[in-house]
Amino acid sequence: MTAVPSPFSVAGKRVLVTGASSGLGRATAIALAANGAVVVACGRDRERLDATRSAMAGDGHALALGDLTTDEAMDATVEVAGKVDGVVHCAGISVPTPLRLAKREYVEAVMRTNYIAPMMLTQRLLAKSRVAKGGSILFLASSAAFRGVAGTAIYGASKGALVAAVRSVALETAKHGIRVNCLAPDLVETPLIETSGTLQGSGDWLEMQRKLHPLGLGKPEDVANSAMFFLSDASRWITGTTLLMDGGIIF
Amino acid sequence: MLVTGASSGIGREVAIACAREGAAVVATGRDTARLDETLSRLAGDGHVPLCADLTSADDRKALVAACGEMHGVVHCAGTTAVRLFRQVDAKFIDEDFAINFDAPLLLTQALLASKRITNGGSIVFVGSFAAHIGAKGSSVYSASKGALIPAARALAQEIGARQQVRVNVINASYVETPMTRHVKTSVLADGESLYVPPLGPGRPDDVANGVVFLLAEASRWITRSILRIDGGLGCQVSMP
Repeated sequence: MTAVPSPFSVAGKRVLVTGASSGLGRATAIALAANGAVVVACGRDRERLDATRSAMAGDGHALALGDLTTDEAMDATVEVAGKVDGVVHCAGISVPTPLRLAKREYVEAVMRTNYIAPMMLTQRLLAKSRVAKGGSILFLASSAAFRGVAGTAIYGASKGALVAAVRSVALETAKHGIRVNCLAPDLVETPLIETSGTLQGSGDWLEMQRKLHPLGLGKPEDVANSAMFFLSDASRWITGTTLLMDGGIIF
Repeated sequence: MLVTGASSGIGREVAIACAREGAAVVATGRDTARLDETLSRLAGDGHVPLCADLTSADDRKALVAACGEMHGVVHCAGTTAVRLFRQVDAKFIDEDFAINFDAPLLLTQALLASKRITNGGSIVFVGSFAAHIGAKGSSVYSASKGALIPAARALAQEIGARQQVRVNVINASYVETPMTRHVKTSVLADGESLYVPPLGPGRPDDVANGVVFLLAEASRWITRSILRIDGGLGCQVSMP
């Protein structure tokens, strides 16, 4: 093959990954490191964040411990981040609850973690010019923003808010060549999936879900691979979009 | 990888990008000389030019017979015949759909019937941003490109679980190609310009790289989906 560098490469890019102590964030941090990126990994749990770090190849990575729903953790994370080429917002919670059982505390907690925290972290990074020209900001939304599933009114709304937000933020940052997009995965085999099924209550629920997706459930690596595409120069003309990735499910 | 419309524009760039990433390309188009020019720009070996007019059933049949088994198929061949709504007639509609809709669907059907798409393979239709915006002069073009979306989603449903073949659509906005230069000179009034996306003008390889992603194993869980490559034009369109 020729020696032309691939536009799909993320080597040398500095990328901030939230929610890196487990699930999609962990897989994304590991995949980025394996492909030569320098990762700033954020998470709440010291032990699990260290476990992610020890699974990451290469040097120069940084860890930012803290709960991004707090101003202190957000400020500290921005300082550790420095100037980044990319941001992947993976931190999120999913606890299905029918609306009639939802308490204000629950609604606020979901919105705070899934919507307010990633938006305000992005706000700080942009205000302090911490995202490099031509950089890429990626939010992990969800197919729940598009397809109704009983029990996901609040969760789906928090993810739908991200889908709406990227359309406008993309226009605000386009003059700096900064791209802003969402990935909207359906069910991926992560620790969150255990709680996703509790509403349905049956042990067969997960097996049924696997059958409903023509391509089966997703793997964290699938999301990580898409994230790398959106961080790479191969996607330099893509902004304000949401890519649905759902293994082909109808409902 | 089978790439249609490979003699110019996005199709040519898709062939170049596939070859750059190490794929063997079967490049098809109507113009032998321009197809040869595409071939001369492909990195690596094992690429094959196959001349065909995909609106012809005989040509499709010959192409399917000659092409061998494919890991991916990219439908880039298309026409941008632009006409104001009041000037549209049945012949115009038929010709547009024959190229933009009927040909890629019937070619895909023939490939599948002859088991020319390997299990785990990927089919990509290059659609258009026009499907979302409904641009001036493009009532028929928007419809023929937009029609690819439900067609692709239905096909993905039919072959997904059994053959693990993925089917996706890329909705691209105007990038600088011979086709869009034609639009500029033929339908736009003086002083009127094509939409300028927030990220500035795009290049054919921007679309090609999105195609490569949807062909690659990296997107193995993505099917029935739409990837928008439009420099930020689409996110401004008022449409649910």
